Amino acid sequence: MIRVSLAFLCLFLSFSQALWAQESEEKITGLYPGLSFDRFARQIESSTSYTLFYDKAAMDTVQVNLSAKDNTLAQLLETILEGSKWKYTIDSKKRVFITYGKILNIELSKNFFEANAAVQSKDSIIRLSDLERAFSRNKLYVIGNPTNKKTATLSGKITGLDTGAPVFGAVIFERVDYTRGVANEDGLYSITLPVGRHTLFIQNLGGFVEQRQISLQGDGILDIAIEENIISLSEITVSSERMTNIARPEMGVQKLNIKTMRKLPAVLGEVDVIRSLLTLPGVQTVGEASVGFNVRGGAADQNLILYNHSTIYNPSHLFGLFSAFNPDMIESVELYKAGIPVQYGGRLSSVLDVKAKYGNPDKVNVTGGIGLLTGRLTVEGPIGENTTFILGGRSTYSDWLLDILEENTDFENARAAFYDLSFNLEHRINPKNKIRINSYTSNDNFRFDRDTTFRYENRNLNVGWTHYFNERMEAELVLGRDHYRFGIEGRDNEANAYDFGFQVEQDFAKVNFRYEMDPQHTLTFGASTLRYALQPGSIQPSGPLSIVNPDQVNPEQALETAFFLGDEFEVSDRFTINVGGRYVLYNFLGPNTSRRYEPGAPLLPLTLTEERSHESGEIINTYHGPELRLSARYILNNISSIKAGYNTNRQFIHLVTNNAAIAPTDVWKLSDPNIKPQWGDQVSLGYYRNLQVDKYEFSIEAYHRNMRNLIDFRSGATLILNNEVEQSILRTDGRAYGAEVLFRKNVGKLNGWVSYTYSRSLLRTAEDELAEKINDGNWYPSNFDQPHNLGLIGNYEWSKRFSTSVNANYSTGRPITYPVAKFNYGGSERVYFSDRNMYRIPDYFRIDASINIEGNHKVRKLAHSSWSVGVYNLLGRRNPYSVYFTPVNGTLQGFQLSIFAQPIPFITYNFKI
Amino acid sequence: MTSYKNRLLLILGLLLFAGCRDPFEPDLIENNLSLLVVEGYIEIDGEESRISLSRSTSLKTNDTIPVVGAKVSVINSSGENIFFTEKEKGIYTLTEFFNANASYKLAIVADGNSYISDPLTPIITPEIGELDYIQDEAGVEIFVSTKGNNQAQYFLWSYEESWIFQPAVLTGVYFDREEGQILPSPPNNRTDMCWGENIFPQIILQNAARFADNQILQRELIRIPLQSEKLQRRYSVEVKQRAINQETFDFWEILRKNSDDIGGIFSPLPSLIRSNIQAVTNLDENVIGYVSMGKSTSKRIYISNIEVSPWSVTVPEYKSCGVLRDTIPISQFANNFSGGNIVPALAVYTLRGELIGYRGAEARCADCRLRGTNQKPEFWED
Repeated sequence: MIRVSLAFLCLFLSFSQALWAQESEEKITGLYPGLSFDRFARQIESSTSYTLFYDKAAMDTVQVNLSAKDNTLAQLLETILEGSKWKYTIDSKKRVFITYGKILNIELSKNFFEANAAVQSKDSIIRLSDLERAFSRNKLYVIGNPTNKKTATLSGKITGLDTGAPVFGAVIFERVDYTRGVANEDGLYSITLPVGRHTLFIQNLGGFVEQRQISLQGDGILDIAIEENIISLSEITVSSERMTNIARPEMGVQKLNIKTMRKLPAVLGEVDVIRSLLTLPGVQTVGEASVGFNVRGGAADQNLILYNHSTIYNPSHLFGLFSAFNPDMIESVELYKAGIPVQYGGRLSSVLDVKAKYGNPDKVNVTGGIGLLTGRLTVEGPIGENTTFILGGRSTYSDWLLDILEENTDFENARAAFYDLSFNLEHRINPKNKIRINSYTSNDNFRFDRDTTFRYENRNLNVGWTHYFNERMEAELVLGRDHYRFGIEGRDNEANAYDFGFQVEQDFAKVNFRYEMDPQHTLTFGASTLRYALQPGSIQPSGPLSIVNPDQVNPEQALETAFFLGDEFEVSDRFTINVGGRYVLYNFLGPNTSRRYEPGAPLLPLTLTEERSHESGEIINTYHGPELRLSARYILNNISSIKAGYNTNRQFIHLVTNNAAIAPTDVWKLSDPNIKPQWGDQVSLGYYRNLQVDKYEFSIEAYHRNMRNLIDFRSGATLILNNEVEQSILRTDGRAYGAEVLFRKNVGKLNGWVSYTYSRSLLRTAEDELAEKINDGNWYPSNFDQPHNLGLIGNYEWSKRFSTSVNANYSTGRPITYPVAKFNYGGSERVYFSDRNMYRIPDYFRIDASINIEGNHKVRKLAHSSWSVGVYNLLGRRNPYSVYFTPVNGTLQGFQLSIFAQPIPFITYNFKI
Repeated sequence: MTSYKNRLLLILGLLLFAGCRDPFEPDLIENNLSLLVVEGYIEIDGEESRISLSRSTSLKTNDTIPVVGAKVSVINSSGENIFFTEKEKGIYTLTEFFNANASYKLAIVADGNSYISDPLTPIITPEIGELDYIQDEAGVEIFVSTKGNNQAQYFLWSYEESWIFQPAVLTGVYFDREEGQILPSPPNNRTDMCWGENIFPQIILQNAARFADNQILQRELIRIPLQSEKLQRRYSVEVKQRAINQETFDFWEILRKNSDDIGGIFSPLPSLIRSNIQAVTNLDENVIGYVSMGKSTSKRIYISNIEVSPWSVTVPEYKSCGVLRDTIPISQFANNFSGGNIVPALAVYTLRGELIGYRGAEARCADCRLRGTNQKPEFWED
């Protein structure tokens, strides 16, 4: 107990304001013959209220030999320590500190909270917590002694906040004249500035910007500790994104790191990227068992899902039960709801950028986990000095769930299997060139009886080359191929045996430059081209006895090319605008057959006027147009900002579905002469404010979207194996608007967020669409129009090893069409539907909870492990997925279908070697 | 294929992940949408044509509203009306020959409003090629095979099933209330063997164009699950095959999807149903139903228990059935058996062969007439 530790000291420093007080001195009387200092101290402690702090071992040499009569402790210590270098200090709380060499200064320096005139000002020691970090950002450091020179040189060392290691390459600059200095290999920097007040910005490459307020009077030294690295997002806390909320020029961007996602309670314990997104404002889903998500009132096929540059068409396993991204591979996830960066395009609603890791550069790590349904294993590490890799896989290991069910049902022979694999490699050729290889595959296989097998598969590969021309310009070139297909094998009987298949393949090349033209302008520009090759559906007989007619929808080809340019223009310290645009060119290519219809008439077999065949590579038709990306940010003060944005988007590939949720067997269709590209715009406005030195983050964003040429379907439309899909569609306009409020607490034992979203999503059959008018051509709610949505995520860290999380979610029930009448037909009661989506299913409410237990951190342990235990749908509320009427023995009955109707417990074990 | 998809996904949702289906009655706005519903098929070859007219009702009522007193007629190309007669309430019939190569219209005058159909072109249905069954571990599957042609590519099947079944307790006697005593059941009024029939058939549709030469091979119609009493003694099914045009096929397909394929995780959204009959008086009035014309074909098969033997039978309705323990003495017959809930089942004699009384059985267990008819159907062949 009796040891002086630095931490202790600091505690005293911060809490004992009052100082050395003499009023209530205790008098000591006693005989202390030839005692060790330790024994003496214990005797004093037992007879008085003093507590002594000293280094027992170091003070072994000190002998106490005295008798006291009504002496003060100070007098005794004076005598004992006389002639030695030991010094003593007594504070107001009767604590005695014995120190070697010099007296412990328990008084805060006079200038501790204000300007400090010292030559040297170290801020790394006091930066014990994030709170103090924010403090040092706003504190004014007074540096140097006034001289008559007009400029002064500031030098010092930049070190990492956590490691204390020098940060090579960190840039220190101020924003008036843009004078800058760069830290050398030892972290040393030097910068010459005019005397006076400055705001210094310190930035690590690709990292987070720190700032210091200085008043430079003369030459001086300022050592600075900064957050080293933003790249290892999985290791750092959310705090790295604080301030960025206010300062970053884009809006409508939501970021989740894997650490946050891991804490969220998940279905069957599978850490789920897409399901985690649903906790954020503005992201909704039509139902629990579908991976499709709706961003700001947009359809599920309007989200571009990127996994290290690869477009993932079906990011789900087990028909949408959970997402197909291995959590151990993921670095971070960013969702762009409004301020879609200029280099991205091709989808109307959002870009989900899933960033995977490239491996640990220091040593080989193995991480893995075992859940109820899957096992996963990831290996990462360096290969030589300049190369790192990461390889991760995940798979189901048994059909035990299905086996259990078999006993109670007649679905024997049901089998489900899936896996996903991902391999990424990064190689630094030299400091200026870097090569990255990204690959991903996921595969699902499901059979519910011996007759029918469903499969689907993603396969993606791309290679990226990053080149740094100089300090201000870099470029990235990516070449790749994305592939998605699904198939159904029907083996009902030999005569009807068939194979149904769909696939989409896209080859792409994109080049992206980033150029810091001058301190005010950062340009992003480049081009991308994407070649689609689609097999929209084919059916083939299987086996010699099958009489199924082979059939195939004409394969489709198209080229989507875009040129883009964006300028991040810092008009002033406070005002930044992002001006950007894309020009998109889309060519629908042969070989194919194009059809023309009578102008002004609905597209029907009767109004078909011309059919033309086109050669391979022939341009059948072209769509082109600009897309705008504008946003502006104005910083009101240190803690708040406002932003506004406007952007437009075009989409050339459409999911052909008339389900409420995306089904894994839905096919995609390219724009052709009769199916125009979807077009959408969005206006948004936001206010951001951080409270209590970034402890709390508050934001509110409002938006309004218009959409044109959306696709809806006529009654009884045939969507698969249909060469003339345009005869089944209804051109539809869309409108969405809403507001999102987020209140987030980032630090502390209790952290989390509360979000509220108001959002409407409405559709209307286009005025010039003549084939059919849904709801008489009036606006009607889309399938995912859920106006109110309230979410709460709360984490409480009981200790470093033990934390609990709660997720609560409420939303308005989704719209549904109920029948308006019934009638008898074909021997049974039938339903008659009229206006679409005029009713809603009951509201949705769910609470999940989980406990995360970290294993102990003993160094010698073989593996570092953690457990995650929890319950999905804790209340067991039977949230309806749908409400419908179906005849039972000829009589109609109403039912509600719930997907996760009971509390679903889960347990997952994770390890890291 | 689509139905497989939905079945699969529904099952996934329902079973795998603790999902469930609960009865639920949403609050619906009451409306009195009373649309004319027309169902029927006009036979051109001297078979009886039936057109049934009814009105749609609100979801909450249990009434059916037949449209009575309507005038239903077929109009030929020269404008002549050939009228149907109302056979039962809302059922209009006609037996007539029509030219297979001509085009006709159906006209209806109901409740003061006139309706007229689109031109109807008769389609001659090809004969049923094969109507047979296969037995597998899940029961018996009855299937149909046929061969379409360029005029007849879309097929609709309806069927009528009949079967002999026996109650849990077999008794050859009955209590005659007038005589006050127990008598042997007369051969034409037995209670130990009856004929049952299906009441709620499914619609079965198939597009032959999917297959080589428009052939439909072994299209599953009916599945008789294991333990079904349909195969307890002898079973028969008559399948009626009709070739229809594409619009009619689409109509039936929407009807099927709207009622059978609805509510699942990946179920399609409900579609509007159309009609080939339009209101003449009030153009905004919607009509439900597709009427077609042509020549249908039918075929009947029988399956006897011996052909599928061994076939054990479990009837949920006969759960906990058996002969009651108490013997009812002759003097108590009237008291016990005249109510009809208990019927005499087993005679109890003394060692010398004198009748002491009867042990009874619940009527629901012993009287097959409660679940069928003991009158042999006209067509039945033993």
